Amino acid sequence: MESGIFHTTYNKDMALRRTPIMRWRIILAVIFLVILPFVSNGYSLTLANQIGIAAIAAIGLNILTGFTGQISLGTGGFMAIGAYTSGILAAYMGIPWWLTIPFACVVTAVVGSIFGIPSLRLKGLYLAIATLAAQEIIQWAIVRSPLGTDALVVPPIKIFGTSLTKLRIAGFGGIDFWFYWIIFLSLGGVILFTVNLFRTKVGRAFIAIRDQDIAAEVMGVNLFRYKLLSFATSSLVIGLGGAILAQYRGIVNYERFTIEASIFYLAVIIIGGLGSVSGSVYGAIFMVLIPAILNNIGRALGSTAPEIARLVPFARQAVFGLTIILFLVFEPEGLAKIWRDIKDYFRLWPFSY
Amino acid sequence: MTKKSALFLLLIFVLALAACGGGGSDEAIKVGAVFDLTGPTSDVGTPYSEGITGFVAWYNENGGVDGRQLELLSADYAYAVDQAEQLYSQYVGEGAVVFQGWGTGDTEALRSRVAADEVPFMSASYSDVLGDPNEAPYNFLIGTGYGAQAVTAVQRGLDAGATHFAIFHHDSPFGQSPVAMATAYAEANGATMDVFPMPKGATDYTAELTQAQDAGIEYILIQNVSSPAATLVKNVKDFGMDVQVVCLNWCTDELFTSLAGDAAEGVLGASPFAFPGSGAPGLEEMDAYLKANGSSLEEKGLRYVAGWLTMKVMTAGIEKVVADGKEVTGPNIKAALETMGAYDTGGITQPITFSATDHAGNKAVQFFEVQGGKWTAVSDLIAVP
Repeated sequence: MESGIFHTTYNKDMALRRTPIMRWRIILAVIFLVILPFVSNGYSLTLANQIGIAAIAAIGLNILTGFTGQISLGTGGFMAIGAYTSGILAAYMGIPWWLTIPFACVVTAVVGSIFGIPSLRLKGLYLAIATLAAQEIIQWAIVRSPLGTDALVVPPIKIFGTSLTKLRIAGFGGIDFWFYWIIFLSLGGVILFTVNLFRTKVGRAFIAIRDQDIAAEVMGVNLFRYKLLSFATSSLVIGLGGAILAQYRGIVNYERFTIEASIFYLAVIIIGGLGSVSGSVYGAIFMVLIPAILNNIGRALGSTAPEIARLVPFARQAVFGLTIILFLVFEPEGLAKIWRDIKDYFRLWPFSY
Repeated sequence: MTKKSALFLLLIFVLALAACGGGGSDEAIKVGAVFDLTGPTSDVGTPYSEGITGFVAWYNENGGVDGRQLELLSADYAYAVDQAEQLYSQYVGEGAVVFQGWGTGDTEALRSRVAADEVPFMSASYSDVLGDPNEAPYNFLIGTGYGAQAVTAVQRGLDAGATHFAIFHHDSPFGQSPVAMATAYAEANGATMDVFPMPKGATDYTAELTQAQDAGIEYILIQNVSSPAATLVKNVKDFGMDVQVVCLNWCTDELFTSLAGDAAEGVLGASPFAFPGSGAPGLEEMDAYLKANGSSLEEKGLRYVAGWLTMKVMTAGIEKVVADGKEVTGPNIKAALETMGAYDTGGITQPITFSATDHAGNKAVQFFEVQGGKWTAVSDLIAVP
């Protein structure tokens, strides 16, 4: 019976996975993710891929908002930069799709840091409005540019001369199947990068700025430099999400990157847990699956109780809003905290105090 | 019989059953659809969706396709692109062979995907590019393209002697869609075209109208939805401008007249579809169906007509596939739509004609004018110049 987790060396205390259970959980999750695409249909793969992309962008936003304490309403705009850069490079310059993605990340990082400049002077609500301006400026620029009239068609991805939609190996294939691997390998990379980022000097500086910026400055953290760095890192990851989305859906349209997308990602990290990488993933799962589940409940009711089913679309909006309010009231630290509480309960059972 | 052979027989039996289920000729034909019932365009999305569901119910009551019923798989997507993608993959995974979309957002987002999955797709987004099979091989246009509508409206203005045109448009790809074609057409005919984007959420367009007046504009085209269009014509009236206003597809409806009130008098509307009460024989079946269900076409309005007709044309393609004795698949329905020749809609639109090189099925608009608060036909169907 364990009475707590004790570390006897600094190395152990600093380890990424501090207990054997954590290691097992990760192995199980990886096994599940590897098996999943082989046993699921197109619908579940679409949901999984939407979750993966949402999780990437949510982690990006969490670096900025959750870890550095700089609120941002510009996620949709930054994703659009990533998506359009990747799309334009592939469609008009003939650059291979896999090369367009890192390009798009860098471009988004640069644009993100430009819009991050006001963050030195602005905090809280004022910064929210400044990033909202970023969202609107980017959207305005896209709509008014020659790209605004028609959607940008991204050429289909070819591997060894075969289109990815047609490519099948041992009966498994289709665009959703192949992109599942691209998305989840990227997500894995992003998670590893972010978790490790907060074990470095840079990451600690971000957290210091979040907790008390004046104290951080007194300790020698260059506020301007690290805030910009946070904007750049965050935009880099968000741009990755946008670029993958563009390649995956094969078409880029501004309607996907409006202010609603920005609010969606803010909701993801609030529900999942601000300042938590795993929370961003839980939040993405929650926010993508809830509407899908409500839709399917509506369908199931449709045959037995059509009168109730007719109300489901309206109820869905209400349930969505209600969930967010309840989270804010009862668990402001989000799903990540709930998960931690559950673990603590079982670890200390039956002698919890 | 040994246990093993019994199991073997059972297996064969199960497989045979499964095979029957897959190829039975009385199986329902699945149609996927997304509707906007709760999103930003729900005011027009709801009657459009009722037109689609109404047609399917009416059609199934009347025997379906050679005894096979249409099964509509549909849900509200609240104009959210990712919701549309989820529902699309769900319904196509469940065997939907054709798909009914709604707005610009979902139509564009699914354009590459329907081509890859070979699912014929129709929606109420009439961007001209969707009529080009090289760009969008599985999209079919029932309404006249936005650019084509605008060009016809410009021609009407030219015929009336106008030389200074302006287009006020929704500030989005949907709004910009007809601008290039309309401008090119006006300039080719010795006229001018000024372009005014209508800012999102604006409550007043006096600044833009002042500019338009200074430029001597005589003819204003509106590519926007009803509520901002109604604001614009009210401003025109208050301003006392002597101009002819022409609404294109999305503000030519009953919502516009009710919102604009007196200011709507004399406004022209270019519509690909005939209004309820215009006497087109094709409208009778809708009215009869609605009256039998305690409503009427007058009440449901123009968008209901568009929804019903869109589903009806798609069904005509399915009927041809079944009549030819082919399997009901996306590519076969596409081929049937392209080869079925001119489809008579009973005067609601010009006969709809698709071909392998052209998916813009409808190339005519009819002009209506608001007289006494009602849209009244002032022209026959006019072919796009």
